[in-house]
Amino acid sequence: MESFREIPAGGKPVKRAYVALMLWFVGRAIQAAARVDEAVGEEFAALPEGFAFSLEVLPGGPAMIVGKDEDGRVRYRGWRPAGRRLDLRMKIKNLEGALLMFTFQESTATATARDRLIVDGEVPAARAVVRILDRVEVYLLPKIVAKLAVKRYPDWPWQEKIANRLRIYAGAILGFP
Amino acid sequence: MFRSAHSFVFRSPTKVLSGARALENLPVELAGMDARRPLVLATADLAARGMERVMTAAFADSGLTVGFLAGVPARPDRELVRDLYGLYRDRGCDSLIALGSGPTPAVAKALNIALSGKPEDLEAAAAGALEDGRPRPLAAIPSLDVSGYEMTRYAELASLSLTAPTAIPGLLVLDRRTVPAEDRKTTAAAALLTLTQALEALLHPDRNHLTNAYAHGAARFVMENLRTALKKPAEGKSRLALANAAFFAQTAFDNLSGGKIFCLGLAISRRCALSPGLIMGLLLPHGLLMEMDREEDPGKDLLLAVGGMDDHALTGKGPGVRKAVDRVVELLLELQSLIPEYPRGIRDIGLRRDDLEELPDAVGEVAGRGTLDPSEVRYLLDKAWETRF
Amino acid sequence: MCLPGYYEYSCRVKIVAGHDALERIPDLLRRLGARRPLLVTDRGVAGAGLVGILREAMGERLEIGAVADDVPPDSDLEAVNRLAVLYRESGCDALIALGGGSVMDTAKGINILVSERGDDLLKFSGAGTLKRPLKPLIAVPTTAGTGSEVTLVAVIKDRQRRLKMAFVSYFLLPDAAILDSRMTLSLPAPITAATGMDALSHAVEAYYCLGKNPLSDVTALAAIRLIGGNLLNVVHNPSDREGRLAMANAAALAGMAFSNSMVGMVHALGHAVGSVCGLPHGVCMAILLPYGLEYNRHKREAVMGELLFPIGGPEIYGKTAPEDRTGRVIAYIRQLNEDLHAATGGRHARFFGEIRDREGNHAAPRRRLPEIARTALGDGAIFYNPEDLDYDDLLMVLEAAWEGMPLDSGRIRKG
Repeated sequence: MESFREIPAGGKPVKRAYVALMLWFVGRAIQAAARVDEAVGEEFAALPEGFAFSLEVLPGGPAMIVGKDEDGRVRYRGWRPAGRRLDLRMKIKNLEGALLMFTFQESTATATARDRLIVDGEVPAARAVVRILDRVEVYLLPKIVAKLAVKRYPDWPWQEKIANRLRIYAGAILGFP
Repeated sequence: MFRSAHSFVFRSPTKVLSGARALENLPVELAGMDARRPLVLATADLAARGMERVMTAAFADSGLTVGFLAGVPARPDRELVRDLYGLYRDRGCDSLIALGSGPTPAVAKALNIALSGKPEDLEAAAAGALEDGRPRPLAAIPSLDVSGYEMTRYAELASLSLTAPTAIPGLLVLDRRTVPAEDRKTTAAAALLTLTQALEALLHPDRNHLTNAYAHGAARFVMENLRTALKKPAEGKSRLALANAAFFAQTAFDNLSGGKIFCLGLAISRRCALSPGLIMGLLLPHGLLMEMDREEDPGKDLLLAVGGMDDHALTGKGPGVRKAVDRVVELLLELQSLIPEYPRGIRDIGLRRDDLEELPDAVGEVAGRGTLDPSEVRYLLDKAWETRF
Repeated sequence: MCLPGYYEYSCRVKIVAGHDALERIPDLLRRLGARRPLLVTDRGVAGAGLVGILREAMGERLEIGAVADDVPPDSDLEAVNRLAVLYRESGCDALIALGGGSVMDTAKGINILVSERGDDLLKFSGAGTLKRPLKPLIAVPTTAGTGSEVTLVAVIKDRQRRLKMAFVSYFLLPDAAILDSRMTLSLPAPITAATGMDALSHAVEAYYCLGKNPLSDVTALAAIRLIGGNLLNVVHNPSDREGRLAMANAAALAGMAFSNSMVGMVHALGHAVGSVCGLPHGVCMAILLPYGLEYNRHKREAVMGELLFPIGGPEIYGKTAPEDRTGRVIAYIRQLNEDLHAATGGRHARFFGEIRDREGNHAAPRRRLPEIARTALGDGAIFYNPEDLDYDDLLMVLEAAWEGMPLDSGRIRKG
């Protein structure tokens, strides 16, 4: 069997770093949107007290965690899901699947239809989180890209959209609560 | 009224992953079956075409260690199975991946039978008497140059012909990177073989709703994608559709049995240098015409599969088989104009008149054959001998 | 035929169909290495004499270890735990599930406990927790509709902890599904109609929703063709064995299609009406199916038009202009509901407003529609629906389905 070779799986550091950065940014943008956007705030308010969820990439990260504090405030809680109590874990099966989502080649709906995600937790909560993600994406992305990312692009008043967009960007970058 | 004509059994144990980044989903699937150390088998030719690199890239970030053996010969034998058995055990592997078509999945199935049960299981499978057993995870990643047996219970090795339902790969991965463009002749041959398996399944006396559904899907994909796959080989979607079609047709074939066109095509190819699929293409119109005098119903299904909904609806109450044959001949003529070395008839492929006498019996050696009437086989041969397209 | 950018498909269940399919069970179990199954069923099935027919078909060739005929209408944890004990005490080595969705789910739950030698089912909930094949499980459906004989999901209620546990694994799939015409011959006309429409809704939604793929397409088309040709006929002629077998085949085909492609808003709304008002699933599906087509039409016009081929037949398909085909499909399904209404002496409902309970009150009162809409908003099937739906959209559809009026296309917000 001279033609046999054993190949340990290598890594993909650049792709990992990109996805990690995107997850960090989206996590902080959700934190900001929960205060800026009324509908996102209401979605969080309807979720149980202390609710926390993660968006993770299998098998070993990156990840992001967002949760509600005791006082109901929504916070980005870092990138380490291990050992935490999470009500909902949304796991992308692999790094390439995450890359398709975070380069906006596949919308959340498409990724779900293509079995890219594994959802651990209650489905109504997962539905709420996806609605939140959709709204945040509309704020973060230019219309031409966001139209591909969500099923129905909302017709919000443009002044409000721009103002909220600036506040969410500022909140995500600067990280003020 | 559409009815179930008779009782039937249908089984397809395969989970298919097809499309963008399918290969990267393989580690998750293996982990779901508690498998972490796969042994990948491939031919040297396929490895030389960069497949090893594609596999390694796909498994990056998965944490899995992959054993890669790129040396499966064109005619693997029992000794190879024995050697691989030792290698698999020594290296602590727990699953198999067959990369490519033809000999690689055949040897992987044989190895899996040997690994999963008792040592004498290979003998039982050779006698066609191995019905149960829980096989190790086996993933097939076939290329376009299919033999027609990849996703079936049959494994053809040198001097060893195995039949075991448990040998069917449990996973199938189709990704445009793993179905690299082949030359026109190879692509056309594979597609015609698939079309033959599909259309003979639609005409099979034991056909059922599920074999019909799979065969229909296979035929539609071939008819809709073969021309593009030949004219624009770099276009991945049509190649992927043909690879899907091969799986669908093989599943229908596996649940029924091979018809006379398939079996005769294989038997003839053993006596001359032309690939089985191209021979089947030359036989197909004649084989289908033989069905014309039979029932009306399969003719309609045949036309629906070959021509699609609109073609079928426009035909009204007319003869379905006749129009389906027209469509197949149109395709054949187009293939011949695209592939100059595609012979016009079976007289031009080195077959001798004497062979016609022996071929009806030689058909009996083909794996997966059904009960074939030698006089019908002979009739088909004679018709094909008389015709040049 | 469509080839999506990516898809997965699997149906590992061996399909055994025929007028004498039951007789194959002993041999199937023997090949799986089992000889003493636990028969899981419910009172209704046993009362209809189906256990007797099954036992007779087994004859001397198979010893049934024990019969559990008290599975509740909604599969629950208490029954699963109790029957797992029965399985062990009776020395069983396999399961036969004879019944509808609840019996199938209960049997799958028992199978997890007895195969994994566990006593806490909750540990195995969610996806990906099962890694090994379970004990042999043979599914014998007694309605032609749910398709749970070919699905990889089990939903089991924990009444104490007030939660619904969902189990998802390829290892939950039965080893074989037995489709035998004798199992549905005694099904009453209204249930035949509702379960048949359930199967139709599986196939139609599988065909136009976001998870469609080539194999879900071909199985869905085959199912629709069988239902179009046989459903009304078996409601008129309940003892037609060929028609019954065709419907059993159709339900299994539709089950394969939707369990691989998933379904959309018709199911999201149907689940919600079921959980808020307790209406049977098939009844909701029959009423809601035309609305799913109307609501998503602008996104799926071409795909929906293709459905006219299996539903209306090639001639009608050929004579109808492509832009009129979807309209004909919707009209056909509404007409099928009307015909079933007539054929069942008015017991097959066409809209929610006409369903009354024993006291003569609305079984799904109009004032509860907002609650239903809110519940539907949390249903996973919305993920797979082509057009987005918020609370207002869901309520609009429910209002129309309550009155039996077509959707006002001007009120559908198109993304």
